[in-house]
Amino acid sequence: MQNDDEAQKAIDRRSFLKSAAVGTVAFAAGTSLLSWARPAKAAGSLANVQSDAARAAKELAGGRVVTLRILEPSGSLGNIKPVADRWTADTGIKVEYIEVPLGEINQKVLLEAVSKAGSFDIALPASFGIPDLAESGILVDLDQLASKYEPEGYQDSIIYKTANYYKGDFYGYETDGDAYVMFYRKDWINDPEEQKRYADRYGIPLKVPDTWEELDQQLAFFHRPESGRYGVALFRSQYFIAWEWWVRFHAKGFFPFTDDLVPQINNDAGVKALEELAAASKYLYPGARSNGLFENFEAYGKGDSYANIGWGGTQKYLNGDKSGVKGKLTYGPTPGGKVNGALVRTPYFNWGWNYVVSSLSKEQEIAYLFTLYAVSPTLSTIAVRDPGGYFDPFRDEHYKDPEIIKLYSKEFLDVHEASMRGSIPDLYLKGQGEYFDVLRVNVQAADVGQKAPKQALDDTAREWDRISRRIGRKGQTVQWRFLKSLYPEAARSHLV
Amino acid sequence: MERHDTVQLETQCRPLPRIARLPFSIVLVLPAQLIMLLVVVVPTLIVVWLSLTDWQPTDNIPWFKAEFSWFWNFYDLLPDERFVGAVLRTLFVVALCVSTELVLAVALALLFLDEWPWRKVAVSVIILPMMVVPVDAANAFFMLFNDHGPINQLLSLVLDRPVEYAWLADPHWALLPIIFAEVWQWTPLMFLLVLTAFLNVPRNQWRAALGLGATPAQAFFRVVLPLSLPVMLVAVLIRAIETFKIFDVIYILTRGGPGATTESISMYMYNGAFVYFRMGYVAAAALLVLFVVVSVCLALFKPLQKHYE
Amino acid sequence: MSNRNSTRAPRIPKVLHRVAVVAAMVIAFFPVFWLLSTSFKPYEEWASSPPHWLPKKPTLQNYRIVFAPEAARRFAATQAGSLDYKVSGSAWAAFGTSAVVATAATLLSVVAGTLAAHSISRFRIGGDSFAFQFLSVRMFPPIAVVVPMVVLFSMLRLTDTHLGLILAYTAFTLPFSIWMIRSFIEEIPVDLEGVAQVHGMSQVEAFLKVTLPLIRGGVLATALFVFILNWSEFLFALTLTSGHVVTVTLQVANYVSASSGKLYGVQAAMGTISTIPVIVFGFLIQSHLVRGLTFGAVKE
Repeated sequence: MQNDDEAQKAIDRRSFLKSAAVGTVAFAAGTSLLSWARPAKAAGSLANVQSDAARAAKELAGGRVVTLRILEPSGSLGNIKPVADRWTADTGIKVEYIEVPLGEINQKVLLEAVSKAGSFDIALPASFGIPDLAESGILVDLDQLASKYEPEGYQDSIIYKTANYYKGDFYGYETDGDAYVMFYRKDWINDPEEQKRYADRYGIPLKVPDTWEELDQQLAFFHRPESGRYGVALFRSQYFIAWEWWVRFHAKGFFPFTDDLVPQINNDAGVKALEELAAASKYLYPGARSNGLFENFEAYGKGDSYANIGWGGTQKYLNGDKSGVKGKLTYGPTPGGKVNGALVRTPYFNWGWNYVVSSLSKEQEIAYLFTLYAVSPTLSTIAVRDPGGYFDPFRDEHYKDPEIIKLYSKEFLDVHEASMRGSIPDLYLKGQGEYFDVLRVNVQAADVGQKAPKQALDDTAREWDRISRRIGRKGQTVQWRFLKSLYPEAARSHLV
Repeated sequence: MERHDTVQLETQCRPLPRIARLPFSIVLVLPAQLIMLLVVVVPTLIVVWLSLTDWQPTDNIPWFKAEFSWFWNFYDLLPDERFVGAVLRTLFVVALCVSTELVLAVALALLFLDEWPWRKVAVSVIILPMMVVPVDAANAFFMLFNDHGPINQLLSLVLDRPVEYAWLADPHWALLPIIFAEVWQWTPLMFLLVLTAFLNVPRNQWRAALGLGATPAQAFFRVVLPLSLPVMLVAVLIRAIETFKIFDVIYILTRGGPGATTESISMYMYNGAFVYFRMGYVAAAALLVLFVVVSVCLALFKPLQKHYE
Repeated sequence: MSNRNSTRAPRIPKVLHRVAVVAAMVIAFFPVFWLLSTSFKPYEEWASSPPHWLPKKPTLQNYRIVFAPEAARRFAATQAGSLDYKVSGSAWAAFGTSAVVATAATLLSVVAGTLAAHSISRFRIGGDSFAFQFLSVRMFPPIAVVVPMVVLFSMLRLTDTHLGLILAYTAFTLPFSIWMIRSFIEEIPVDLEGVAQVHGMSQVEAFLKVTLPLIRGGVLATALFVFILNWSEFLFALTLTSGHVVTVTLQVANYVSASSGKLYGVQAAMGTISTIPVIVFGFLIQSHLVRGLTFGAVKE
C-alpha cells in the first residue's frame, strides 16, 4: 500500500509540476508580449549584468560622493546588506538604510507622496501596494531605464513578476518568493494505522490533499484535542484570514470580479468558501485566533498540529534547530478545488517585496542600477541565502544553489517552485488595502459568528462597489482586465 | 487700579520708542501667537478645506486642487459605523477610566492623610507610573498581557486552571488591557490632586465637626469631601480631556484591532489618514470632533472661569 | 502640604493600612519591574511559558543591540541561541534627536510662554478669553491637525526635520508654559514691580530683574515639566517624520522583526533607558506636578 501511495503522490506532484510548467510557458509568452510592446533593448549580456550595472553607476556618479538611501522593512537588512556591501565595493557609492516596521512600509512610502520629504531613493514596499503607490506618483515608471540597461532574459528566471507591472508599466523588480505553501506532518501521513483508519472512514487514501474539501476532512480526522493533537495551525488573525478565504474562493472556480468589475465574491461559491473556513476553525490549535507569524512558527514547531500554512520564512524556521519538527514534514501547494470535474490548482502569491525608485530621488538612474544589480541572478542568490532575513527563493537559479537547498530542504523547494510558477496574484488594484480591509473585517466577523456568511459577503460586495465607484470604475476596470490576463494559464482556464 | 498706576509710571519714566508701534503687551505675546498660528490655526483652516473634498494622495493631485465634493463627507460620516463606534467607544473609555481613577484615587488618598515613617517613599513609588514614558508603559502592558504573561499566570493560580487567554486578540476583551494601562498610569495623578484637596481643607472646620460629635467617617463625608469637590472636579475634567485623546496606548497594544474593536477617535483618524489615506474624509471627521469639543469647552467656560477667580 | 499631623482619616487598623499601602506600591511598581526584568532576559525567556519573573540567564545582549550593535553581532556569533537581530544603527542617534528636539522645543516654549504669561498677567491682554485660546489647544485630539500639518509642512519643507517637530511640540506645550508660569507670576505682587519702576526701571526691566528671579524655581519646574512632555511625545514623532528624524519613543517601535515579532527584550531595554530622564526630572519637580498638570488651576 505504501508504494501505491508513494506512486500516487509522485503522480500528483508530477501532474502539478507539469501544469505549473505549462502555466509558466504561457505566462512567459504573455509577458514577452509585454516586453515586445516596449522599446528594444540596447543593453549588454545577462552574464555581465552585475559588472555592467556597477560600471554604469560608477560613471554616472563621476567623482561625486553619492549615497543611496534605502527605505527597508525591519528584518530585511540581512538580505540587503551583503548585496549593498558588494555594491559599495564595486562602485564606491555608499548605501544608507532607513528602517521602518515591516507592516508599515507601504504607508511610509505613500506618505512620502504627501509630505514630499525626499528622504529615500529606493524603497522595498510590499508588492500588493504597488498599484496605490504607482497611482500616487511616488514611483518612477522604470520602462525607459529598463530598456536602457536591462539585458535580454534578465527577468526570465524571475518566476513571479505579476506585481512588477501596473496598467502595463514596469515599476520595480520582485525580490521575494512569497508563495503560500502548506505543511503537513509526514510521519502522521505515513503512519500505517492512521492510513488504515482514514481509508476505512472516508474511502480514499491518506495523502497530501489536493482540494480544500480533502484538507478539511483530514483536519477533522486529525483533530484530537483530548490527546493533545490538533488539526491545523491556520491563521485567523488580520489579513491572514482574508488570504485563506481568497484561495478557498478561487479554488471554487471564480474570479473576484467580472470583466465589468462587478464583485462576485458573494455568490454561492463565496458563501460556501466562507462557511467552510469558519467550519475549519473548529480544528485549530489553541492560540490560532491571535497568533501572528512568529507565534505560528513556534507553535507549529512544537509538533502537536497536523498541518500549517506559510511561506519560505516559515520553512526556514521549521527546518532550523529551534524547531521540533525538523525532518518530519512534507509539503504541498495550497489546496485547489474541483471545478466541472477537473482539478484546479490555485497557489497564491501574497505579500512579496519589490525594489522601487522614488520619483523624488535625485539619483534615479543610479538607484535603478542598484536594483538591477541586487536582483541579478548571482547577487539575489546571495541575498536569499541569508538565514536571518526573509527573502525566499524567486529565481530559477536559487533552487539550484546548494546552500539554499540545505536551508530549506529539497522537498520544500520543489513544492515552493511549483507554487510560484502557478501562483494567482493578489488583488493588484488601486485601493487594494481598502478592498482587503473590508473583506478581512467581514470574514473575521463571520468566523467568530458575529455575522452570517452570506451577510458578511454581501456587505463586502456592497462596500467594494462603493470603493470602486469612488476610485473610478473606468481606471479600475482597465487594471482588473490587465490583472486577469496575468493569472497563470492553468488557473485562468478554469476560472469564470 | 494697579494697572493704571503702572501705565502712568511707564509713560512718566520712559517714552515709548518710536519703532514700537504695537503696544508692548502685544509684542510679548507675538512669539507664542505666531507659533500657534502656524501650527494650529492654519492647519485648522486646511482641515476645513479638506473636509469639503475627497482628497487622497493616490489621486496624484496637490491638495489645493482636490475636487470639491460639498458636504458628502459629512453625509457619509454620520451613518458610518466605524466612526460612530469610535466616538461611542471613546466616550465609554473616558467614563470608565476617569471614574475608576477617581475612586481609586480617593481610596488611596485616604490612606495617605496621616503621617508615618516611610510615607514619603510610598508616595514616590505610587506616583512612579505617571513618570514612565507612555509608550514604554504600553509596551510593558503588552508583555504583561501576553498569552504566557504574568497576568494569565496569576489568573491561573487564582482560578486553579490553566489560563492562556489572548486578551489583545479578543474583540470583546481587548479594551481591558488598554483601560488597565491607562488607569495604571494616571491614577497617581488623580491621587496627587485628591490628596492635595483633602490636605488643604482647613483644620478648624474638620476639628469643629469632630467637636460637635461627628465620627471621623461622618466628618470626612460631610466636611472634607464637599470642600474638596472643586479640585476634584478640575481633576476629573482634565483627566477626561486627556483620556479623550487617548492614542499611544492603543497604538502600541492593538492598533485599534482586532478589526476596529478598540479604535478610539484618535486611532480611527490615524488609521483613516495614514493607513487608508482617506484624508478628506478624516478631515471631515476631525472637524466634527473639533466642533463638538470646542462647543463643550465653551459651555464649560463660565464655570471654569468662576473657579479660577 | 499643611496639617499633616492631625489624624483625619477614619480609623483603619494599622496592619490593614500598611498592607493596603504596600499592595498599592506593588501594583504601581510591577509593570516597571517587568520592563526592567525583561530587559535583561535572553531571547528564549521573553515569552516563555510559564513566564520568568526574573531572568534565569541574565544577559546584556538587549542593551548591546540598543547601544552597540556591532558588539551585539559579535556576541551573537560566539553564543549559539543568542538574538542576532540585525539593526542598521544604534539608538544613540535616537537619544541625540530626542535630546535636541526636546530641549529646543522646551526653550522655545518656556521663553514664548513666559513672555505671553507676562503679558496676560500684567497687562491683562485680551481679557480672559485670550488666555483660554491656548488652553483649547490641549482639548482636541492632536491627530485632528496632523493631516493638515503634514500637508503644510510638506509645502514648507519641514517634514522629517528637527525644526518641524520642534515647532509642533512648542505649540502643543505652550498651554502648559503659559498657564503654569502665569500662576507663578500671579503669586508675585505687582507692587514689587511698581516699586522697581518708581526707582527708574522700565516695565521690562522690572519684570526681568525683580519678578523673574523670584519665580526662577517655578520657571525651571515648568521647563522640566515641558521637557518631560516633549521627551515622551509619540504621535507627532510618528506622523511628521519619515525615517530620518527618529526620537526615542519612535525607536522602540522599530524593534520588531518579521521572524520574531516584537523584540520584547530589546524594547524593554530601550524603554528602560529612555524612561530614566523622565523619572529623574519628574521626581525633581514632584512638588510642582500638581500645578503643572492642572494648568495652574490647583496649587500644591
